[in-house]
Amino acid sequence: MSLVQEKLNLLKQNTHNSVNSLLEGTALAAAKKVDAKIENGQEIGLLEGIPFGIKDVYMLQGTYTTASSDLLKKYKAAYTATAIQKLLDAGAIPLVKENCDSFGHGSSSENTIFGAVKNAINPDLVAGGSSGGSAVNVAKDCTIFSIGGDTGGSIRQPAGYNKIYGFKPTYGRISRYGLMAYASSTDCVGPIAKSIEDVRIVLNVMSGKDPRDQTSYVSEAVSTDLKATQIKTVGYYKNFIENNAISTEIQTDFLATLEKIKAKGIAVKALDFFDADILVSTYYTLAMAETASNLSRLDGTNYGARIEGANLKDTYSITRSENFSEETKRRVVGGNQVLSQGFSDEIYLKAQNLRNQISARFTEDFKDVDIVLSPVTPASPPEIGESLQDPLAMYLSDAYTVGFSLGGLPALTIPKGTSTGIQITADKKKDAEVLQFANFLNEIL
Amino acid sequence: MEGFFLNQKLKDMSKIMTVDILSSIKGAKPSDSVNQLFDVIKSANKNTTLNTVLANVVSLDDLRPDEVVESSAIEKQIIKENFPREKNGFLVVAKVIED
Repeated sequence: MSLVQEKLNLLKQNTHNSVNSLLEGTALAAAKKVDAKIENGQEIGLLEGIPFGIKDVYMLQGTYTTASSDLLKKYKAAYTATAIQKLLDAGAIPLVKENCDSFGHGSSSENTIFGAVKNAINPDLVAGGSSGGSAVNVAKDCTIFSIGGDTGGSIRQPAGYNKIYGFKPTYGRISRYGLMAYASSTDCVGPIAKSIEDVRIVLNVMSGKDPRDQTSYVSEAVSTDLKATQIKTVGYYKNFIENNAISTEIQTDFLATLEKIKAKGIAVKALDFFDADILVSTYYTLAMAETASNLSRLDGTNYGARIEGANLKDTYSITRSENFSEETKRRVVGGNQVLSQGFSDEIYLKAQNLRNQISARFTEDFKDVDIVLSPVTPASPPEIGESLQDPLAMYLSDAYTVGFSLGGLPALTIPKGTSTGIQITADKKKDAEVLQFANFLNEIL
Repeated sequence: MEGFFLNQKLKDMSKIMTVDILSSIKGAKPSDSVNQLFDVIKSANKNTTLNTVLANVVSLDDLRPDEVVESSAIEKQIIKENFPREKNGFLVVAKVIED
């Protein structure tokens, strides 16, 4: 109970705008039960009594689930997401619904009604996004771990910006049931934590096939033996490193990391890949199309706060105009543009074709290399306010994460190697190899 | 006369196709930043030989059973709390769709 109380006290201060709502009553009641079990000499599980945070896009029955939006400001979850339920069943205690970019729309956690989330290391800078509140709470020791959501980098990038671990598992390893849908074909549930071991434990608890998410699959638990890395060849994408967009510091540090890996007898191979603008454009085209469809239910009648108009259509459009943020509107409009007649062939279907090309390239590359390494971001976090001025620059800052999302690959940020970390990726369903290699990198960096 | 109706129809269609109506967002306009992303896609090479990778397709043998699951009492209560209006014990939409 003292651990839960200590974390709640930290969260109450909300110094970095990372908190949307606190779950104090239920958390203290749950902690009391764990204390009673310990007093009675009963055995407790690995996660029992461990306080954690939840990005405010997950359903947890009876809690406000706002997606950091005006539209759902007063929406209460009627049921609990599968991944969260598994953590509850393991005895973990949710403390907080965490601030994020509204509906996951953003890479800075500034696009929210709860105030821009401040970076844990330098509060003048952004926390990254969209799972910014979750990353900051872990970095500031307000939660032991937090559950983020990653569609195009939303766990990995804020983890990098706040110097902690953030893992996007293989698409489908963890059920998406109860995660508010942004772009369903790349949405992933994942842990943010301060150690690889914590990532592993939480990942294992949440993984598994769920009849309520038909894209989920049966997976084996990642074993505790993370020492035995079998990795012989590591690849990296040349064009991620040899361009003008990457900061000199991150470029130099990344290349130095490759040298340290080589020195340990592991082969390092430079690979050709799609240009960053193709990756970013393909990702955003598809994500916008999917979000336009997913968010169409948010009309003030099926869901959300309604603003009455002259007639039903007017009510829909006033509700959506007033209650969606500028970034959400930009993405919904973009999605409807590419899905509309006359444009779908030229843009949407072509983006689907490009996605297939990207996936096919990953399949080929992972015949040659076991792991692909990349920086997490091309540059250090911007100052609060900068990204809102230039949406295109914000989209392009996702250049290193979106490709792996399109491929559905497992990818982990570790807070080493460059100032915003290193991203470790392996082929689909090779989540264990990613964590094993992360352990190895931790030892040599 | 036929031409007039055709023109009128095309005009109506273009009215229907505007993004503010498609998106149900008043005054919505395409964004320059987003259009720049789409321009990249338009000028990218399309691979015509590539077989579609059906990455997320669910097999017919793996479909979940089609069954009605009764919501719990608490779930029903929260759904009612969330819903803007209730009339004679029914949850109601804003107004009957008039047009």
